[in-house]
Amino acid sequence: MNKAILHVVICSCLILAACGQEEPPSAPPEIQSTGTIVAMGDSLTEGLGVSEEETYPALLQKALRDKGYGYRVVNAGISGETSSGARSRMDWVLRMKPDIIILETGVNDGLRGLDPELIRRNIREMVDAFTAEGIDVVLAGMKIVPNLGPAYSEMFADVYTDVGGDNDVILIPFFLEGVAGVPKMNQPDGIHPTADGYARVVEHIFPYVTAAIARHQEQSR
Amino acid sequence: MSKLKFILRDINRTRSQAIVFALCVSLAMVTLVAVNGFSDSVNTTLLNDARALNAADIIVRSRQPLSPGLVQKIAEMESARSIESAPIYEFYSVARTAAGDGSLLSNIKAVSKGYPFYGRCELASGRYLTEVLLPGRIVVAPILLERLGLRVGDSLSIGRATLAIADVVLKEPDRPLDAFAFGPRIFVSTADLERIDLIGKGSRVSYAVLIKVADAADLTRSVDLLTAAADPVQERVDTYRTAPSGVKRFFDNFIFFLNLIGIFTLLLAGIGIYTTLTAYLKEKEKTIAVMKTVGASSRFILTHFILSLLFISLIGTGVGLVLGLAAQKIIPALISGLIPQQIGLSLSWTGILEGFCLGIVGVALFAFLPLYRLRGIKPADIFRKDDNQPPGGLPYYLTLVVIGTVFTAMVLWQLQVLSSGLLFVASAFGFILMTAVFTHAILLILRRLPVKTLILRQALKGLFRPRNATRPVIIILTASLAVVFTIYGVETNLDRDYVQSYPPDAPNLFFVDIQPDQQADFDRALGINTRYFPIVRARILSINGDNIDRGKERQRRRGDNLARTFNLTYRNDLLDDEIIKTGSSLFRSDWNEIQVSVLDTVIKMHDLKIGDRIVFRIQGIPLEARISSIRTRTKDSLKPFFYFVFQEDTLKDAPQTIFTAVRVEKSRIAGIQNAIVEKFPNISVIDMTETITTFAGISRKLSNTIRFFTAFGILVGLLITVSSVLATRLARTREAVYYQVLGARSAFVFKVFGLENLIIGGLSGLLAMVISQAASWIIITKVFDITFKPITGAGFIMIAVATLLVTISGLLPSWTTLRKRPVAFLREQTNE
Repeated sequence: MNKAILHVVICSCLILAACGQEEPPSAPPEIQSTGTIVAMGDSLTEGLGVSEEETYPALLQKALRDKGYGYRVVNAGISGETSSGARSRMDWVLRMKPDIIILETGVNDGLRGLDPELIRRNIREMVDAFTAEGIDVVLAGMKIVPNLGPAYSEMFADVYTDVGGDNDVILIPFFLEGVAGVPKMNQPDGIHPTADGYARVVEHIFPYVTAAIARHQEQSR
Repeated sequence: MSKLKFILRDINRTRSQAIVFALCVSLAMVTLVAVNGFSDSVNTTLLNDARALNAADIIVRSRQPLSPGLVQKIAEMESARSIESAPIYEFYSVARTAAGDGSLLSNIKAVSKGYPFYGRCELASGRYLTEVLLPGRIVVAPILLERLGLRVGDSLSIGRATLAIADVVLKEPDRPLDAFAFGPRIFVSTADLERIDLIGKGSRVSYAVLIKVADAADLTRSVDLLTAAADPVQERVDTYRTAPSGVKRFFDNFIFFLNLIGIFTLLLAGIGIYTTLTAYLKEKEKTIAVMKTVGASSRFILTHFILSLLFISLIGTGVGLVLGLAAQKIIPALISGLIPQQIGLSLSWTGILEGFCLGIVGVALFAFLPLYRLRGIKPADIFRKDDNQPPGGLPYYLTLVVIGTVFTAMVLWQLQVLSSGLLFVASAFGFILMTAVFTHAILLILRRLPVKTLILRQALKGLFRPRNATRPVIIILTASLAVVFTIYGVETNLDRDYVQSYPPDAPNLFFVDIQPDQQADFDRALGINTRYFPIVRARILSINGDNIDRGKERQRRRGDNLARTFNLTYRNDLLDDEIIKTGSSLFRSDWNEIQVSVLDTVIKMHDLKIGDRIVFRIQGIPLEARISSIRTRTKDSLKPFFYFVFQEDTLKDAPQTIFTAVRVEKSRIAGIQNAIVEKFPNISVIDMTETITTFAGISRKLSNTIRFFTAFGILVGLLITVSSVLATRLARTREAVYYQVLGARSAFVFKVFGLENLIIGGLSGLLAMVISQAASWIIITKVFDITFKPITGAGFIMIAVATLLVTISGLLPSWTTLRKRPVAFLREQTNE
């Protein structure tokens, strides 16, 4: 009905995204956890449109265990979230007492054409707060879809290189390297990776995560 | 010729019955012709309109550049001149002022010559888009000029090109009413796309090709060819008939309701025809017996009566058709401006013919049984007083089956949907059966009631007098009144849903993504008294220990599912439009665990009750909550609502954003939008004014039309009710005479008859009200899928009016008799 349509419209405005599959990941009992990684981010982290086991945090945990890292990877992704939303839930993420945080945010700001300066401020604040708690931060570098215009795209990409330039942060230059813009790696919406896309993402970010683990273990020693 | 004279003389002798019969036929005709003709022409108009709403006959859509196979197929078909095509590209981009002092996210639509194939893009200058949108030029939405402080003639940078603003777009045909966009529209020419240079690897672009077929008859073939060439995963081929459009769905419900009224009327008319005809032929029984005595064959008699009925039916039909056509003329005036891109309603002859045929079949069907009974009349019946033959035998039941089957077929034909059609028929028969059972039970009780007052005792006795047919009369009255009440019930519910969803204070400006630490500053900047809703995003992991099956949940076709992310909120009070449906209060003070109040909509997705436990996962952290209450909303208006409400203490520290919605004057929106965006860049301001205004306007018009048809249907129903009473009560006049012969005064007879009719009317009214509530509940919840509110106060008035009407019309036939001297009536009777 008319009203129903409107509700849908409004809901989609509010949510900006819908579903993703998830079940609580079950850990093989023989591996002892040696730490917690919180994957904080938007729909790309939450895994919109793929099942729980196919999201990047789930695949990353599996890949880490295969290599003998007994880390738990918590999926703390919220579809549609902007960097401002991420910033305001820092305390919640800290409750999970993470050793490492993979921070993937800002794309929804970019898709709405928000001022890159705002994204920079938010990410900077988060990185500072996390590192102050002794958490190692892996920052997922992002690029915005080129149709927003060259000037905007450049300013947007600069945010990550700027903040990631600090010694305290491990920067993944581009989180979706080899996935973005490749039709078969993405769902029909063109921006959310498929299961294959996420496998590629994990392959790509794995060295950055293990570097963070190494650093974290060194620091805690 | 002498035969015709005989028929006319025969009809004339029982003209009051004949008139009532003709009235039933014509009323049925009027409604059927008007409703059918109207819904038919609305449908045609809508299909024409749908073409304009999509600007094309066929639309191909994709998120990727079209596949080579499809591009080649389109080129082939175009060179064969069987189609014309126009590519469209839509994407967001940040447009900048040439001076570099302002920028705005805009919704760019690149179109080529030919767009739109149907409908029209309205520009402020009144010119055509194709004249204005030359290379190097753009056409923008008015809000863009306001937000960036630009004027027509200024330049705007999009991508790598700087383009001149040539005009302002006021309305585009293929932008759906429910369209939502983060930024204002900019039209560019596809010729400029290369210069703009924004479509490339990784770009997020909606690709579409609009196609116009050269020959309308070729539509299906063209669609098949294109679908075969398209990539089934990435590309969608829609026609203007199948493309999703909010308006189309909207009107589908509307037409459905009209068809429903058509069927109801048919049912009513059938009842009317049956009762009046039975009464009419009853009066003729003596004539038939005499005819048989003087040697007329059964066949002769049957032919005679069929011809008589045909004659009366034709008069009824003629009158009905003329009135129906007149109604067709009035309707377009009623709905003028109702349909967007109005094409105008033409008189739909097919619709009219359909209604006409439906009416004829109805008359024939309901007339069969009374006519069939004529066979059983014997010459000896001249001398019998109690000549009621009980119905029965194979032909009787066979006829009932045929009526049932034909009725089912008609309903299915009118409603076009098998499941709802069958549900409708099953409910209709179920209700008739229920009425019969109830009536039987109540009569049984009444019969045993010890009554002291003479008048009341006589009235009650009257109900059970042989030949009085009290039970069939009550059943027929209940059925027809139930139909009338149901039409009313459905109308009020639809009206509430259509119109009252858009109250004048419905919010039109939505603010999303307010951060908790911004709320105080935001509130000061907005300066409007409003309620803030915290939103905590979460998913449901399990209910009572059972994990949610996400795959299964997502397969649900209708409504919502439990697999998605939900917006939780917290507060300790109910909203104005909420009430507790189950449970004593929003939260329980005697529970120490985490509590959640659930909206009843969730119950539709999963059976839940108080005390059940739901495990949510709030961004990594699980939270188990026990259901403390189930809420419901009192109005389905456009106000914010939440499925899950927690206590403040539970969620106040959870990650959240804040949302609010306000109602502001259209003229203030741009100002507010600018001020908020400048100060709080992360907050998105969503302006729904246009969508809401358009929807509200359409609903109001629609509601008026529905009301017109409802009034019409109710009027027809009441007239038929009255005529049924008149027909069946006519036989009662003889008793009035006997009372008088026995020394009763007119006043006494009048009181007894009045009371008797009052009991019949009141009983039917009450039963009908109960049944109609159930029937409208089924229609509203199962067919229209909206919340149902029973008729309350108006219900009593309706019962009272119905009772009064039945009583008065029941008394009318006795009126003339009572004023005459008994002997005159007896003399007439003996002459028969």
